[in-house]
Amino acid sequence: MTDELRLAVERRGNDGAILHTKGYINNVGGEEIATRAYELLDGGVRTLLLDLRETKIVNSIGISILIEIIEKAMERNGRVAFCCLTPVIHKTFHIMGLANYAKIFDSEESAISELGLAA
Amino acid sequence: MTATAERQMELTLPMVPDIEIAAARAAGNMARELGLSSEQVDEMTSAIIEACINACEHSRSADNRIYVRCLGVAPRDGNPRIEIWISDHGRGFDPDEARTRRRTLGAAHKRGWGLQIIEAHMDEVDIASTPDGTTIHMVKYGKKS
Repeated sequence: MTDELRLAVERRGNDGAILHTKGYINNVGGEEIATRAYELLDGGVRTLLLDLRETKIVNSIGISILIEIIEKAMERNGRVAFCCLTPVIHKTFHIMGLANYAKIFDSEESAISELGLAA
Repeated sequence: MTATAERQMELTLPMVPDIEIAAARAAGNMARELGLSSEQVDEMTSAIIEACINACEHSRSADNRIYVRCLGVAPRDGNPRIEIWISDHGRGFDPDEARTRRRTLGAAHKRGWGLQIIEAHMDEVDIASTPDGTTIHMVKYGKKS
């Protein structure tokens, strides 16, 4: 019924990665992102960018899981950022407070530049 | 005399994973036909998703059904609107308590944001909740083109 979430990982330098999402971020999709994010953090990634340009719908359960990922990253002196959000997802991130703890960029290019995610 | 076109739709949906998407898509089609913008439709979609998830997760409804009613109104001399009622036959909840709950970074439980999201994305929201069930009534207005 839904577009199941698909993920693609792009490693950037020694300690960076971009997670490209495609599809609905609900409880299942959120857990898939978390599993991949924790693998990356365990592997030494400290800057994680989530590119949501191909995700049009998130729900509050999915966002609560994204907040847990931010917490885990912060515990390991890492950081999580987001880019390419739809206006509604952007607004929802602000409602839930996620925007207080993670940077949000309009484009992947500006995120890569500001976060220093060298190829 | 002012003519008003109305469209109605009623759905009875099982409480199964991802059923919220079916409700949101059906209402989204009606909203687009009424002339709501894509951003307005997306906001309404988000609100419907949260209302359905609340019903599935918290209502403990005996019949395991969500009842969705949509009314599209397009006045000849005014802004179109879509009204949505999402109901369950569950145990009800206290909207004031749900509104004051806050789940933030560091909290053990981060969920429970559905009502705030619904109210932020819709133009009007009212909730009738009793021990016999809950109905969330939401309205989204479009702009006359």
